[in-house]
Amino acid sequence: MEEKKKILAVDDEEDIRFILKEELTDEGYDVYTLGDPTQALDKIEEIKPDLVLVDIKMPQMSGIELLGKIRDKYYDLPVILLTAYSSFKRDIASAASDHYVVKSGDLTELKNRIERIFKVKV
Amino acid sequence: MQDLPITALPQETQEALKAIGKADILIGIPSYNNAETIGHVIRAVKLGHAKYYPGKRAVLINSDGGSTDGTREAAQTAFDEDIYDLSLVHRPQEPIEGVTTTYLGIPGKGSAFKAVFEAAHLLGAKACAVFDSDLRSITPEWVQLLLAPVLEKGYGYVCPFYRRYKYDGTITNSIAYPLTRALYGRRVRQPIGGDFGFSGELVSQYLEKDVWETDVARFGIDIWMTTTAMVEGFKICQSFMGAKIHDVKDPGADLGPMFEQVVGTIFLLMKTYESRWRKVVGSRPTAIFGFKTEVSPSPLQVNLERMITKFKQGFDQHETYYEQALSPDCMSKLAEVREMATERAIDFPKVLWVRIIYNYAASYQKESDRKHLLESLIPLYFGFVASYVRETESYDDYKAEETIEELCEIYEDTKPYLLQRWKEKGCEE
Repeated sequence: MEEKKKILAVDDEEDIRFILKEELTDEGYDVYTLGDPTQALDKIEEIKPDLVLVDIKMPQMSGIELLGKIRDKYYDLPVILLTAYSSFKRDIASAASDHYVVKSGDLTELKNRIERIFKVKV
Repeated sequence: MQDLPITALPQETQEALKAIGKADILIGIPSYNNAETIGHVIRAVKLGHAKYYPGKRAVLINSDGGSTDGTREAAQTAFDEDIYDLSLVHRPQEPIEGVTTTYLGIPGKGSAFKAVFEAAHLLGAKACAVFDSDLRSITPEWVQLLLAPVLEKGYGYVCPFYRRYKYDGTITNSIAYPLTRALYGRRVRQPIGGDFGFSGELVSQYLEKDVWETDVARFGIDIWMTTTAMVEGFKICQSFMGAKIHDVKDPGADLGPMFEQVVGTIFLLMKTYESRWRKVVGSRPTAIFGFKTEVSPSPLQVNLERMITKFKQGFDQHETYYEQALSPDCMSKLAEVREMATERAIDFPKVLWVRIIYNYAASYQKESDRKHLLESLIPLYFGFVASYVRETESYDDYKAEETIEELCEIYEDTKPYLLQRWKEKGCEE
């Protein structure tokens, strides 16, 4: 049997972490959550996820900054940025993410993006 | 160091480089009649070396194609100028050595680069960078942006990441970026950006390839360098350079030779690297370094009517050829686009454009008259770009970028169609 894909969701909002864990677990993923982005690199080292979801606006560290740190250390680890606004695209560093998804109660777009990422073969 | 035949550097330049001995860094500037701008590029490179790598031995080589406007003299003047005090930059412990040469071989940017690669090889350079000689927006920081990922982070190849006006770089936006991304699975936004950083190891790989009698010796060089770095497994990143301001061209103006050489090289490489791209699905992003600044590139006026006229005239001229090169479904859709196009309006669907490119990529492999094939693609390119201009007229550069992203995903999702056409045309290995 194929091993479950591991997803790490980094978001400072507990409600969002809860929804992501519930819904993505239902999709058959092994979901880990983290509220403090400053611990994200350690968590990645520990659980070795196949994908990281990163909220852009977090008080301790911006998601774009975390993306830069992840990309610098893990050349090919997929990252999806989660955002409430599209203005972040003006930050050139966001282009180092695999995709971005605008947050909404409906996770269909996010699920489609995740599925797309797991089909990538390079 | 392995001995490789030196063919692009004249004997006297080889002697001059041997007299210099070893260098840590090699910077190359190709030129042809760039007397007006090359001095600025050289001064920026000298200051970049002094600011960021003052203790490293560096050589700056101007590889010229036989300019008649005084480019080499302008380069020599800039080499000799003492610019440090007035620029408030400390003089480097190791002054940068300036060399001008007229390269040997087929006239073209690629041959100019071959001379640069050979110089890097002779000097045993650890890191290299090349800069176009028509750059107006280059700053000393560009030297660090292209060299630091190689010298300090172990990358093999560094591509520039510029802010460009939405209609600047239309060959990049419509073909070079999305097609390379779909083929090899790596997102490098400016694969033919003109300014690159690379390691000494990659130089050795480049020099081992027998490509210097092809379009790689001309404008095909940029896409060849990027593709080779990707396929040979070198670690790639991008550096944010700000805005690219250079001698821009209206996409409706005569881009013929550049278009044919870039696109022809991509198609040629598809045969070489068939086993590599066939198994790729989707794409992955690439790390980006550099300081983020809000910059607005200058607008570029485009002549929409001229592009649509060139599309319509080209379609009428090459219609019979399209019937042979394209699948019947593509041909009928294309005829519809031609039929519906008015003087100022055209709707060229992205899916159709991608399918046309995939048809051409397959047809190219078996075509005896490849020049004609590529020439016949140019009117369709004008039609597609005109449609893109229409679609993005009211968009800012960021929203226009979303349109490019959408195109890229269509290239990726339509790849099974490429495999099908590749097979139907008998191109499979």
